[in-house]
Amino acid sequence: MKKVVLLLVFTALSSSCVVVKEYDKVYLNDEEMMLSAKGSERFETNFQIYREAAAGANGGKSGGGCGCN
Amino acid sequence: MVVNLVVGAAVINKLIQQIVPLNKFLISTVFLFSFIGFTQDDYTNSYKKRVLETAEIDLLFSYYNQDGQNAAVSGGEGTEELTDATSSIVVKIPLNPNDILTVDAGISAYSSASTSNVDPFDKNSRRASPFSASSGASQSDALVHFNPSYEHSSEDRNSVYSAQAYVSSEYDYFSIGFGGGYARLFNEKNTEVAASFQVFLDKWIPQYPVELRDGFSDSRITGIGTYNPAFEAFNDETRNSYALSLSFSQILSKRMQGSIFMDVVSQSGLLSTPHQRVYFGDSNDFFIEDFQLADNVEQLPDNRLKIPIGARLNYYLSDLIVLRSYYRYYSDDWGITAHTASLEAPIKLSDKFTLYPNYRYYKQTAADYFYTKETAVSSQDFYTSDYDLSAYNSHQYGMGIRYKDIFTSAKVFTFGLKTIDFRFGKYDRSDGLDSYIFSLGTTFVGD
Repeated sequence: MKKVVLLLVFTALSSSCVVVKEYDKVYLNDEEMMLSAKGSERFETNFQIYREAAAGANGGKSGGGCGCN
Repeated sequence: MVVNLVVGAAVINKLIQQIVPLNKFLISTVFLFSFIGFTQDDYTNSYKKRVLETAEIDLLFSYYNQDGQNAAVSGGEGTEELTDATSSIVVKIPLNPNDILTVDAGISAYSSASTSNVDPFDKNSRRASPFSASSGASQSDALVHFNPSYEHSSEDRNSVYSAQAYVSSEYDYFSIGFGGGYARLFNEKNTEVAASFQVFLDKWIPQYPVELRDGFSDSRITGIGTYNPAFEAFNDETRNSYALSLSFSQILSKRMQGSIFMDVVSQSGLLSTPHQRVYFGDSNDFFIEDFQLADNVEQLPDNRLKIPIGARLNYYLSDLIVLRSYYRYYSDDWGITAHTASLEAPIKLSDKFTLYPNYRYYKQTAADYFYTKETAVSSQDFYTSDYDLSAYNSHQYGMGIRYKDIFTSAKVFTFGLKTIDFRFGKYDRSDGLDSYIFSLGTTFVGD
């Protein structure tokens, strides 16, 4: 847990160091670069929620709404 | 084929029955979202890029198949054979330059050998056994869901508000949920912080193993003594879940960006699955044919706190390859910790075709309450033989392909075909469960 907090703090601090201008975001705006889970992965995520104890922290459902683990 | 048609007809009939009582809810929700959208419809004369240029329709389909020998319904020993076919439609409608209404609805029809053994003594077909399917009513079921959501972006596109509702229903489970979120971009849109919450108010309609139900008797029971299980039905049949999600996203260079996610999920109520049998080590064994009768159903605590923390890091390696990585650490107060790591490397073969080779590794420890068959004892408070809560690791290998036509030259009515996605995944678990999944998605955009 301590490592995670340190990572969060480090990442937050690093944000002030980098500013990429809009006109320089051609690679970042590529659809493969999006940071959320892709819609086409939703069914795989669904079966993993049923078959595995861990869920969440991927932008989707993290508990409830199904008789799963 | 005939079986498929019969199951299909039953599923459609069930869907209609499920949808009719939801009419009032659907109408109210659509009306509410429409009202919010149109009251904010403040078009100006100057050009402003819309959040979503035109309506989009996603048609999604998947087929899932699994097999294993550790069915929880038969106390950790028995067939886990299961097939599931799911269809969903997702419609995104731009209500004005700033607002999007999304409606996600679908049906998932499954056939399960293990849940068929909630009642394994159908007498019609084969000798009762945990390793073969019964033809009972619980052999197949359908889950229907309806999930509308609404998203509003501020004029400067630095704030995004969202709200959503969720309803799903299947034979033994009903869920209603709602949630909301807020995301803020700053640092010239290099940084994003988001928070959201979800609440699910679920209800079981318990289907206990047939031998534990009131009035059960069968002259074929064999064993030493009299079969008299220490079973009591659950008093509380509700399950409430409250989830708070936080995320932080950051551009790290012109080619790299990452994000960190954290959820805190609190669940309370009936967290056991009512039809999952348990066999005790200190009780006599009773059988009907080859099927052992339950000593009880699983008993799990009525509270659970889950904390998953995840991170994504994406790197634009070249115009040919992008690297997408993900890691998650999970822990809960049932004693489970888990690690998930995945890597996908989209390969752009041309303007129209992209390949998606991917790999995912998962590992978890066992819940404090997990016992293999006949190792729990009747004096304990909590026990389960659900191997989904045991210690194991898994490997998932997959490949996907996307066809994309930015000119949407192929038309269906007034909608143009934008993308077709096909994915295949193979999942192997160290306890012997293995599965595969096909999924197909198409996106159409309006003119």
